[in-house]
Amino acid sequence: CLTPTPHGCRRIVVSRGRLRRFIWILLTLSAVGLILWQCAELLMNYYSASVSVTVQFQKLPFPAVTICNINPYKYSSMKDYLSELDKETKKALETFYGFSEGKSKVRRSVDEGNGTGSDFFKQIPLLKFEDFSKTATDLRSGKKRKIEGSVFHKDSSIVNSGDSNDIIGFQLCDANNSSECALYTFSSGVNAIQEWYKLHYMNIMAQIPLETKEKLSYSADDLLLTCFFDGLSCDKRHFTRFHHPLHGNCYTFNSGENGTILSTSTGGSEYGLQVVLYIDEADYNPFLVTSTGAKIIVHDQDEYPFIEDIGTEIETAAATSIGMHFTRSRKLSKPYSDCTETGADIPVENLYNKSYSLQICLHSCFQKAMVDSCGCAQYAQPLPAGAEYCNYKKNPNWMYCYYRLHEKFVKEQLGCQQICKDACSFKEWALTTSIAQWPSTVSEDWMLRVLSWDKGQKINKKLNKTDLANLMVFYKDLNERFISENPANTLVILLSNFGGQLGLWMSCSVVCVIEIVEVFFIDSLSIVMRRQWQKAKKWWNDRKRDRSGKPPQAGDLERHGHDNPVCIDEDLPTFNTALRLPLPQDNPLPRTPPPNYSTLRLETAFTEQLPDTLEVGQH
Amino acid sequence: MNLKKYFIRALHRLQKGPGYTYKELLVWYCDNTNTHGPKRIIKEGPKKKLIWFFLTLLFASLVFWQWGILINTYLSYNVTSSLSIGFKTMKFPAVTVCNANPFKYSEVKHLLKELDRLIEAALERILQPTPGNSSENTSPPLDLELWHQIPLVLIDEHDKDNPIILDIFESNQTTVGNETAMDNQTKEKKYKLAVKLCSHQGSDNCTYRNFTSAAQAVTEWYILQSTSILSKVPLQERIRMGYQAEDMILACLYGAEPCNYKNFTQIYHPDHGNCYIFNWGMEEEALNSSNPGAEFGLKLILDISQQDYIPYLSSAAGARLMLHQQKSFPFLKDQGIYAMAGTETSIGVLVDELERMGSPYSDCTMNGSDVPVKNLYSQYNTSYSIQACLRSCFQNHMIEICGCGHYMFPLPEGVNYCNNEDDPGWAYCYSSLRSSIRHRQICIDSCKETCNDTQYKMTISMADWPSEASEDWIFHILSYERDMSTNVTLDRNGIIKLNIYFQEYNYRTISESAATTIVWLLSSLGGQFGFWMGGSVLCLIEFGEIIIDSLWITIINVIGWCKGLKQKRAQARYPDAPPTAS
Repeated sequence: CLTPTPHGCRRIVVSRGRLRRFIWILLTLSAVGLILWQCAELLMNYYSASVSVTVQFQKLPFPAVTICNINPYKYSSMKDYLSELDKETKKALETFYGFSEGKSKVRRSVDEGNGTGSDFFKQIPLLKFEDFSKTATDLRSGKKRKIEGSVFHKDSSIVNSGDSNDIIGFQLCDANNSSECALYTFSSGVNAIQEWYKLHYMNIMAQIPLETKEKLSYSADDLLLTCFFDGLSCDKRHFTRFHHPLHGNCYTFNSGENGTILSTSTGGSEYGLQVVLYIDEADYNPFLVTSTGAKIIVHDQDEYPFIEDIGTEIETAAATSIGMHFTRSRKLSKPYSDCTETGADIPVENLYNKSYSLQICLHSCFQKAMVDSCGCAQYAQPLPAGAEYCNYKKNPNWMYCYYRLHEKFVKEQLGCQQICKDACSFKEWALTTSIAQWPSTVSEDWMLRVLSWDKGQKINKKLNKTDLANLMVFYKDLNERFISENPANTLVILLSNFGGQLGLWMSCSVVCVIEIVEVFFIDSLSIVMRRQWQKAKKWWNDRKRDRSGKPPQAGDLERHGHDNPVCIDEDLPTFNTALRLPLPQDNPLPRTPPPNYSTLRLETAFTEQLPDTLEVGQH
Repeated sequence: MNLKKYFIRALHRLQKGPGYTYKELLVWYCDNTNTHGPKRIIKEGPKKKLIWFFLTLLFASLVFWQWGILINTYLSYNVTSSLSIGFKTMKFPAVTVCNANPFKYSEVKHLLKELDRLIEAALERILQPTPGNSSENTSPPLDLELWHQIPLVLIDEHDKDNPIILDIFESNQTTVGNETAMDNQTKEKKYKLAVKLCSHQGSDNCTYRNFTSAAQAVTEWYILQSTSILSKVPLQERIRMGYQAEDMILACLYGAEPCNYKNFTQIYHPDHGNCYIFNWGMEEEALNSSNPGAEFGLKLILDISQQDYIPYLSSAAGARLMLHQQKSFPFLKDQGIYAMAGTETSIGVLVDELERMGSPYSDCTMNGSDVPVKNLYSQYNTSYSIQACLRSCFQNHMIEICGCGHYMFPLPEGVNYCNNEDDPGWAYCYSSLRSSIRHRQICIDSCKETCNDTQYKMTISMADWPSEASEDWIFHILSYERDMSTNVTLDRNGIIKLNIYFQEYNYRTISESAATTIVWLLSSLGGQFGFWMGGSVLCLIEFGEIIIDSLWITIINVIGWCKGLKQKRAQARYPDAPPTAS
């Protein structure tokens, strides 16, 4: 305890008095405990991050803006595909709600030719449930029939069975095993008919090849009337077509496809994107979409636009001004937080041709599960390799399968939510949307005339203001906020903190740790040796005593001092006390002090003697 | 001599001291220093001595390396951010309301009459290109002088390689006839409208600003022309032509207290004419709001009288409003939002503040005094903002290059606004300057953002207002109050209700603090030194002491050696010389 540097340890040896020494031992031990505790704490908090926010004023890249008409395909050109379904729907509406088309809506009239509906309309008919006694009226045929098999409700907790007289729904059955059926009920006929229509619509659309679908949908000339960006005119060449399964042709401004990404160097509404959209309301599908307007989404060039999930809707006959504020965030990946940089470490194949995002992962995961269990792919998501979209002709069972799977997905039973992690870095455009009347009553006249001229002679009728939507997307300011996480600790700082702890409690350093280790190893060796030697000595003494019959008392007492059990078995500093124990090995004479410390020798001798004398006194 | 004496004295003093030779000094140092390693070097046996020597050397180099890292970290001036969110009593933001249309059409009609007739005639020509201009004969002749200053042209793009440029009023009938014939044949739109901009009237140095849409071209052309006309009108007159506060602000309620148009500060905004700012805090103290919710916010009823809009200038109708800080200039084109007529717009406000530390932590400016751009908006007594800087920068460039100031921005002293008569090439100059990326970049580089950035995050929702049931009496009362007449002078197309209030959490403040302070640096340095060697500042002093001591020894030795040399020489010269004192 004299050579090593920890302070407390020295005091144990140097202090006089049993109580004082005991206190010093206690203090030293508690200091060691504190050090260990604090260091553990430091280690545990090593992987923590501090957040820094920087604002930079600079030229900002303009985001990609994807614009879709809410109606996916021109109704007039879809007639060939949908006439049968529409007829079916109208028939259902008429038989059940007594709705017949007004004479004014001539354009929707479908020629009443062959009355035989195809197979799959019969397979999933709309039903009206008298009550929950498993009897239902087929909406189309008007026949009553008994529903067999087990019945599932889409969401039994939401369906209020109180007024069961007007519950509409449809039944999906497992084609292979007709006794297994799922029954989907809706409280309102509006939802039921839309949902039912969508189901059939997806079936039909899944059979149409992509090229045809692109032709059926709106062209860039159809959708975009005027375009203005950063004070300069732009046209359809600045837009990239992107076919969305549910929204038809969408057009992405500044998609970066030709290698250049436009940027803004001035904020404000004049310097952003200004477009006038032509929304041909008359050509809308009456059952598929019930609202009018456009949907837009502001996203990064690498991101896939999830229009159906996070799009903003644009009203017609209004100028929608969208001010943006750009924020970029970056999280630290493992081990700081559970996020992924590129998505490469996630066992879900990215079906989208874009960079990883949580949404992409979830959709891909569901699609994969769909292909695995139903044998075909869902229409709204991209196709995995070697799979094809579900349709009735090939997969008569897919709808039932899809609904069951979707239910599982929502209840997190597919494990997608556990597998998919969020991305570490993401860009966000915070939007402030406001609406003004457009065109104003006084400018309406000339505006519509000029826009009709712009549109060209293709349409003969004059434009109506409810067919137009004005959209402005601009940066409110060119401040980019960058929120980033930085490691709060580095190895250097961790070591400094260790050093601080060691120094504060014990005035110790790596040197003294090495000393302790050194002492510990040498000591453990020497202790073993000393014990051996003592045994030998004892045996020798015993033999000597046996011979002389008089035990050497002083030697016993002395050993009491030396063999203080605390010094050997207890904590680290007490091991240091054992450092002087090898001394007897070196010198056969036990009480020879170390020669170097002339001053300390007095003290040691003194303190060593003191407890002995006390002990003697007590005895 | 004195120095030598001092040296000798120092030598004597040192001789009494602990060490005579380097080795003794080192041993003494190692024995007595408080750093942990050296002590062990001399205390241990020869083998361990070597180990300890290398260990000590290793630790010392580790300490110095890590000190380097720490000092580097300190000098990179990192910051940490702390976020606080909640509700507190805060200054209610300044609210600027404007009409989207700058002037009453009835007031400016006499100025813009010629322009309107021109554009109408031009549109007539473009839209119905049938020959036979019978209507033109009856109307008074058009002011073609105005037209030729900045003409609109049709560009015929049937032939991609050499487009034919047709001036709308100059082209003879045959050309127009041809156009229509081809139009009928192809049934395809191949014409483009463009604005012809010349550096001097009649000169060949012209550019054509192409527009894919005629609507854009007409609007742009009209803005250029009207700017030139209006810039000649004195400010007082322009203010008179705009919307007056008592006509626009029909009702006002702040918290539970009534307010009226007199509580608003009038400001002339070039884009939107007369704007009115509530709670600007210029003369009186800014109002505080200590309660969240619509009941405790600002409620306004505005009339934008849409019938009085200038038809070609602004096609969108509504009120323009903006929330901003007290004593700052409202840049409505950048940060403003629209409110639609015939609706009630509710705006919940969250104050998003970012408080940053100035230099050297981040490159921002506290009050704009260190920005090399003359702030032209200081004439409004407003504080510095990046928008003000950019606009001032542009205006300064404009004055430098074109010789006159743009109408949309404030003027420095001694400069006039551009107009067609005095500066015939201004539109060309302005247009080329505006699209010049280089000039924009210069402005971006010279302007700095402010350190305290406050944004008002708005949650906007709308409802129809007034409801059909209440419509009659509301219009009646408001008309009566404004015009003192029983006739209803208001309609759905002009009336706007606004509610602006604090949300339940009304602030989110991100404030920066230095991640590495001098205290942090010292404690980290101490920690490192302590960790590897158990050292402290005192040890450094000890080390310094030893170095000084060894220097002493060196000096003494050198002196001694010199002396010895001298004596040797002396002895060599006088071999019989008496022995030296030593």
